[in-house]
Amino acid sequence: MNFAALTLPCYITVAALLSIGLYGVISKSNLMKIFISLSIMETGVNLLLITIGYIPGGTAPIENANFAKYVDPLPQALVLTAIVIGLSVTALAIAVLISYYQKNGTLEYKEGMKW
Amino acid sequence: MVIHPVLLIAIPLITAFIIPIFKKYGAAIAGGAIAFNMGYAIGIFFHVYSNGKIYETIAGFNPPIGIFLAIDSLSALLALIINLFAFINFVAIGKEANYKFSMLYLLAIAGSTGIVITGDIFNMFVFFEITAVASYALIAGKKDKKALEGAIKYMVLGSIASSFILIGIALIYSQLKTLNIYDIAARIASMDAKIKWASFAMLLTGIGVEAEIFPLNGWVPSAYQGASEGVASLLSFAPSKAAIYAIARLMLVIFPFHATYEIALWVGVITLLIGELAAFMQEDVKRMLAYSSIGQMGMILIAFSLASQDLKYALIASLFLIVSHAASKSSLFLLSKSEKMHGMASKYTGIVSVLSLIGMPPLAGFWGKWYLMLAAMDEKLWLVIILIFFAGIVETAYFARYLHRSIGNDGELSLRYKAAMAAMASFAILFGLLPLVYKIASLPLWGG
Repeated sequence: MNFAALTLPCYITVAALLSIGLYGVISKSNLMKIFISLSIMETGVNLLLITIGYIPGGTAPIENANFAKYVDPLPQALVLTAIVIGLSVTALAIAVLISYYQKNGTLEYKEGMKW
Repeated sequence: MVIHPVLLIAIPLITAFIIPIFKKYGAAIAGGAIAFNMGYAIGIFFHVYSNGKIYETIAGFNPPIGIFLAIDSLSALLALIINLFAFINFVAIGKEANYKFSMLYLLAIAGSTGIVITGDIFNMFVFFEITAVASYALIAGKKDKKALEGAIKYMVLGSIASSFILIGIALIYSQLKTLNIYDIAARIASMDAKIKWASFAMLLTGIGVEAEIFPLNGWVPSAYQGASEGVASLLSFAPSKAAIYAIARLMLVIFPFHATYEIALWVGVITLLIGELAAFMQEDVKRMLAYSSIGQMGMILIAFSLASQDLKYALIASLFLIVSHAASKSSLFLLSKSEKMHGMASKYTGIVSVLSLIGMPPLAGFWGKWYLMLAAMDEKLWLVIILIFFAGIVETAYFARYLHRSIGNDGELSLRYKAAMAAMASFAILFGLLPLVYKIASLPLWGG
């Protein structure tokens, strides 16, 4: 298998995920859909970090005498942190959206909501 | 005595997670932790002032591999301002605070302090997120329609911002394989030009959302309007000041190029004008104060962008502007709890804060604008000077209207509230009268 050829499709996926996420945030008026789009964007960023740390042919960064080539472990640590942060923001967002729904009876943002 | 700046972050974090066990005494425990933090920040400030920079490595790994904290005199001053005002603010609102509020308040303080003292760019991102998540929850905590609206706007923009910051960090890491700010700064020249500018743009956009810079500040008026007075006051001195300091660090340490200063200068000028003009058109007091904050952040950004060229005046200007804005805006937000000013304490607070913001001598705001003008004159930026004067006139107009409308004799605030407001406003006078900051600014501020 040609490992070097793996990174380009990854970068294309990153670009696609980021664009889909941004497009969703800008074009949707349902608040839940906006936060779903934000999660898609976060996934794109995480994939970008992983791809940057990838070394063609490298294995997981666990010490093992059979393998000499490891991928860069630091971006993986960063992604773990970023996933946790993204999760907590999403959880908080859903909690706030529930109160918003209870107050307004809708998840569409109102026309009175000035940006 | 050995100084451990990490305690400034660790103590509020630990306390925040202890509080749910002792729900009943939550506010008292939080008050104690903030008081400790304030004392420690004062201690660190004077230590840095007399002995120079402090570095602390975490968990025994030396930089550039390990995470480390770097405190120069500027970040020591920022940490001092954040923790000092956090304490005074908590005195005012602590009585109404339940344990959840106290927890979030501590997290916001820990995050903002972390942003200013960390020496690691990913660490800075994490602290940004801690501060942002705590602020979202604090704003939403009031639970009425306006508060939820403000929190949602802030959350949407804040999440996009965090993605942008992370992309910027990833781009830097992809080239330099390091996250240490001073290590990046030392090797920035070896980066590919396109990736360098892409990462600068991403980081500026991301941090600019938190720093309330135009056109990234759509959340600011709604969030300040929706939040309770104590939270609006917190937002005006902790996260925004930490973020503008992060931009200064980005600009002056990591990307010290002429083009970055130009971009920051003109972004600052536009932010200043838009903020002040929008404030002039507002009817709601809190919205007006929020837009006025945007204007002031623009002015601080102008000062920082001139600081690279002109170390003599611009850095002092930015310090005075930060102190003046933190002192006056947070006291005005507390004052906005009652519609009218009544009694000595309220009138004193309102008048001193407004005078400092519009730049009357000998208050802190005057020195900020004075040194900013001197710096701009040194650089021969006549257009910038004219625009700053124009913004000052607009500012005076709407603050005069504000004073005219709100001096009256009805309504009542509690004594603790009054004391806290008056104490905050007094810092505008104190810093105006003491030439202390001048000496601080003459210390070496940047570098590895």
